[in-house]
Amino acid sequence: MKKIKPLSDIHVPSPGPDEVYVTTLLDRQFDFKGLKKLLGAADISKAGDRTTELAAEDEMAREAARSILSDLTLQHLYDTPLTDDRGRIDSVMRAGYEIDLDMFTQIAGMTVGELKDQLLASGGAEIERIGKALTPVMASALAKIMDIHELVFIPRKIAKPTRARTLIGLPGCLSFRLQPNHPKDDLDAISLMVYTDLSLGMGDCLIGVNPSEGSVDNVSRILHHLDKLRRETGAPSQICVLGHVKTQLTALHQGAPVEILFQSFAGTESTLTEEFDVTVEFMDHAYTTMAERGPLAAVADQFMYFETGQGSEMTYRKNNGIDMTTCEALCYGLCRRYDPFMVNNATGFIGPETHLNDFELMVSTLQDHFMGKILGLPMGISPSYTLHSESHLEGQQMAVQLATAAGASFFMDVYLGTDRMLAHFVNSGHDDQTMREIYGRNPAPEFLRWAVERGIFEQSPDGKVTRGPHWGDPRQFIGSDSEFQRLRESLPAAPGFENAGPRPVNAVQRILRANQAVGREAVHSDLRISELTSFDFRILTTTANSKADHLRNPELGSKLSKEAAASLSVEHCDVQIIVTDGLSAEAVHHNVSELLPLLQDGLASRNYSMGQPILVPYGRVKLVEAIGEILKPQLLILLVGERPGGDALASRSLSAYLAIRLADSSSLKDAVHYSGNASIRYEYTLITNIYAGGLPAVEAGSVVAEKAMDILKHQAAGNRLEDILSRVEEIAAPD
Amino acid sequence: MPSETKRSSKKDVVTMIGLDFGSTTSSAMIAHARVGLNSTTGRMFFGYLDIIYRSEQVFTPFDNDRIDESVLRDHLDCWLRESGVRTEELFSGGAIITGLATEKNNVDCIKALVKERVGEAIIATASDPCLESWLAFMGSCGGLSRSKSERPILNFDIGGGTTNPALGLDGNVLATGCYYIGARHFQFAPGTYRLIAISDYGRILMNYLGIFRDIGDCLSNAERDAILDFYVEMLEAIACGNGNFIEDRAARAHTQVPLNIENPADLPVITFSGGVGELLYRYAQGQDLPETTHFGDLGIDLAMWIMKSRLLSSGLSEMVPENMGRATVYGLAIHSTEISGSTLFFPQHQVFPLKDLPIVGRMPVDAKDTRVRQLLALIAKSSCGGAIQITSDNEDHQEGLLRGPQVERLERVKALGHKIRDGIRAEHLSHDTPLVLIVPRNYGKSLGNYATDWRKISTKLIVVDEILDRNAQFVNIGRMHNNIVPVSFYGVQ
Repeated sequence: MKKIKPLSDIHVPSPGPDEVYVTTLLDRQFDFKGLKKLLGAADISKAGDRTTELAAEDEMAREAARSILSDLTLQHLYDTPLTDDRGRIDSVMRAGYEIDLDMFTQIAGMTVGELKDQLLASGGAEIERIGKALTPVMASALAKIMDIHELVFIPRKIAKPTRARTLIGLPGCLSFRLQPNHPKDDLDAISLMVYTDLSLGMGDCLIGVNPSEGSVDNVSRILHHLDKLRRETGAPSQICVLGHVKTQLTALHQGAPVEILFQSFAGTESTLTEEFDVTVEFMDHAYTTMAERGPLAAVADQFMYFETGQGSEMTYRKNNGIDMTTCEALCYGLCRRYDPFMVNNATGFIGPETHLNDFELMVSTLQDHFMGKILGLPMGISPSYTLHSESHLEGQQMAVQLATAAGASFFMDVYLGTDRMLAHFVNSGHDDQTMREIYGRNPAPEFLRWAVERGIFEQSPDGKVTRGPHWGDPRQFIGSDSEFQRLRESLPAAPGFENAGPRPVNAVQRILRANQAVGREAVHSDLRISELTSFDFRILTTTANSKADHLRNPELGSKLSKEAAASLSVEHCDVQIIVTDGLSAEAVHHNVSELLPLLQDGLASRNYSMGQPILVPYGRVKLVEAIGEILKPQLLILLVGERPGGDALASRSLSAYLAIRLADSSSLKDAVHYSGNASIRYEYTLITNIYAGGLPAVEAGSVVAEKAMDILKHQAAGNRLEDILSRVEEIAAPD
Repeated sequence: MPSETKRSSKKDVVTMIGLDFGSTTSSAMIAHARVGLNSTTGRMFFGYLDIIYRSEQVFTPFDNDRIDESVLRDHLDCWLRESGVRTEELFSGGAIITGLATEKNNVDCIKALVKERVGEAIIATASDPCLESWLAFMGSCGGLSRSKSERPILNFDIGGGTTNPALGLDGNVLATGCYYIGARHFQFAPGTYRLIAISDYGRILMNYLGIFRDIGDCLSNAERDAILDFYVEMLEAIACGNGNFIEDRAARAHTQVPLNIENPADLPVITFSGGVGELLYRYAQGQDLPETTHFGDLGIDLAMWIMKSRLLSSGLSEMVPENMGRATVYGLAIHSTEISGSTLFFPQHQVFPLKDLPIVGRMPVDAKDTRVRQLLALIAKSSCGGAIQITSDNEDHQEGLLRGPQVERLERVKALGHKIRDGIRAEHLSHDTPLVLIVPRNYGKSLGNYATDWRKISTKLIVVDEILDRNAQFVNIGRMHNNIVPVSFYGVQ
């Protein structure tokens, strides 16, 4: 077990005023005020850094910044810690300064450029030794001056084996975490996904579920189920349910098998504490608890699992003026503090606001992998994409190829590459086996023995591993055809189990890609206003001028344009209906023609006054409050397209946000008391999944109308309304 | 902010019970299931089934022509005690009385005891031979049939008093029947062929075969073989749709409900369930069977005779069904109940449960005014109210790579709602008369709202949606649990 050094014992130099870094290229002069600006400008241009105005304005500015960065000494970087918005050294920055100071004194005089040259010329052991002397900012600086070949070449020389029940990260091995997520945490569906991907020879790293509902009960329920599956199949691996660390620790105290403790990390303290609800001090406590009480404490050298990914700090606007790559490096500095079993980088998961396209996704993937490895972490990578970005399967696969060549320790394995719970696309077990075969990698040794015994793999006397007769056959873990059928019915998104070599057969791929195509069309198509004329909408605009703006920057669709705002005035109606595309214009087109007349019939039956319905292209949910503050109705009903995932039908799914405006409501006092928020202005009730495969529009109209009546009657929405309705039911119920 | 459709918790888990009282044995089964939305069908369904209790099979307690109530009461108490499940935790369940048990003088005492001990959760209590065949198929081969969706399966559920065949394809039962072929028409002193009881059907068969034996006599091997030959030939004739044999006088006497196979040329895979089925698979898998008449009946012999029939035994190794001896009770626990959608229309929660409502008729969504009025008039005259079943349209066959569930159109729902509204007014339907509409797709709340002018008309209208069309005579609707209700039918035609 690693001894945790108190933060107060880690020395960090005092920050000074921002230095201005200056250089010229021919006749053009460039200056960058402060190290943060310099680091931001030195990176390739990425959507998140463009939004925060950290990206270089052009190629010359970028190379100028790189040139300056290359000439800075490591001592300069050491002496220039990055501060938060209040000029403070935050706890995440401080954690990154826990380095091998003896080694650092040997290299402190080198420039970043010289260090890069040294790393390219060094062997693995030397690189690992140097890595221990680097702060995260140094790793980030290196990443920014390296090209793709270098980002692949250096980390492939480093191995970082870690041991829990299996030993992962050995040279020549490539491991995988099963990620059998389900939108409703259906245990049958989880079972079938685990069986399927175990049969593909995956799961040697971890079997880990991201729960859709994060209660202690649910996390414990899934943990016990995974434990049962692990024991029944005999697969040598470890399990984890990726709830919040506090939830997992409570589950552990209640006896749940928390074998590996998970937490998402961020590179700034404000993001970590205010958004992820953990502090470094709490993580120190969590680490100690696991070391003492974790089920694998006696056998595991490591037991922590962290997930990171460029952009989370930026999306919360808590990046302290630091670019995405450097924030990511700072995450790794914190990860290093806990000697983790695995660190997974989920770049691309957030969407086009951080990484717009395949190029940005690929470069970030390699940068993150390099930085993690050089800082001594067991790095896994899960380049992923969402349908509202301009990244595609092809770009994601290229990123995976490059990361495998660069020596990633592990990848994710999501059933057929489609995570319906998190609505993004990642590696599948088939992708993973393909990587093993192309790059000649094996599973972890314990897992390989088990898989060979089961006929999932075969191993020749000279050690060569090939697919065995039972590879890809989940039926081997299931007692009967009936049981297999029952499990299949719990997982409707299972287009087939047939394989062609290490890949799914073409027929299966066509179904998966067709689902994605429908989803992408839903996101990227515009509202066809001419098809909606029968509703007498008033058409308003937001500050998003184009679809591209709308998708890249969520804030633009949250505000009315000046012209639109100027066209409205106070109306004081009972109800105002607003329709907007959100992330699926097709959701509007496939539901509104049935839902809206029904909703209007219901509201009219109670003689509510209704404002002329509003249609807004390129709108987001927060738009409801922007409109509410001008028109001042009692209730706003926003019908908005949901973010598409991997299911064609669900790509046409609409949500209804029912927002009661509390400013003029008699219940404002109650709402303040209930929420504990003195400045509360709206309460919301949300009705989701309005589409043919969920709540069809022909029924949703009634559901929304009746809920609107309840909200207006009780002047409450959300949990407060549900509490009131429960009390009403209790009074009405007979003894 | 809370999501209406994402709340998921322990509340989604329901407990269901099945109770089977047969000619030979009785048993209980209790299961947990999670209720959720199937994203392919768009319907609510039971998922993550977990059998939490299987009772031992006990002999159904007969005392000559009567059922021994006190022993039966003890069994029920014992099952509930062993399972640890409290009556009020039960969401739904079914009890079925089959075979020779139905012929006892005090058969109604079973229903009374079940109601007394298990309460209102039991919403299907029936001695319905076709329902039994259906339950046995679903409990035994439902999953198997869906996994081999191209293969027709004929399941023979052979118990003590009856054989209940059901033909199914892709998990759907296409035809059912019921025959008085069973292990216990002839009862013996265990280990011998000395007769201690003969049922009415046993006597018919002996007369037909020219066997003149009575209680206390021993059957000769030739006489036993003749009886078993008759049973097996009849089973073969049922499987082949051989009308000639079935027209035979004795065969007719042994037929309660004939199984009509539409296309006898397509021989189905034959599976077995029930007590005899369990013996068959044990034997086929190389296990020893007890000595002949060990159980005091012809069950073991009948199993051996079926093994000798190439026609009947050819599928034994090809498809092994689940639950075999407990198929019916499994079917009862899991399949006797359908679950509604989660957006029902009802005046207030207290309307549930609704018991033994007659289904006065069926009509399509686009039914004409006259048909709507005609059915509402029948309900208006009924003292206990009634139900109308809205039939499913033929599903459009969808072509192409991606397919989705079909949904109803607002225009049609609104029009039907208004016809019902006008009919309620015209027929002066009492405010207290339950009027239940059972609809096949998810539009219950909208239909109810249009039929009541958005609840302005005072009526006891209940719309239960997402219940597939079943041609039955009566419906039971259980108590509401987490916005859904269990629904079961009986008198299935």
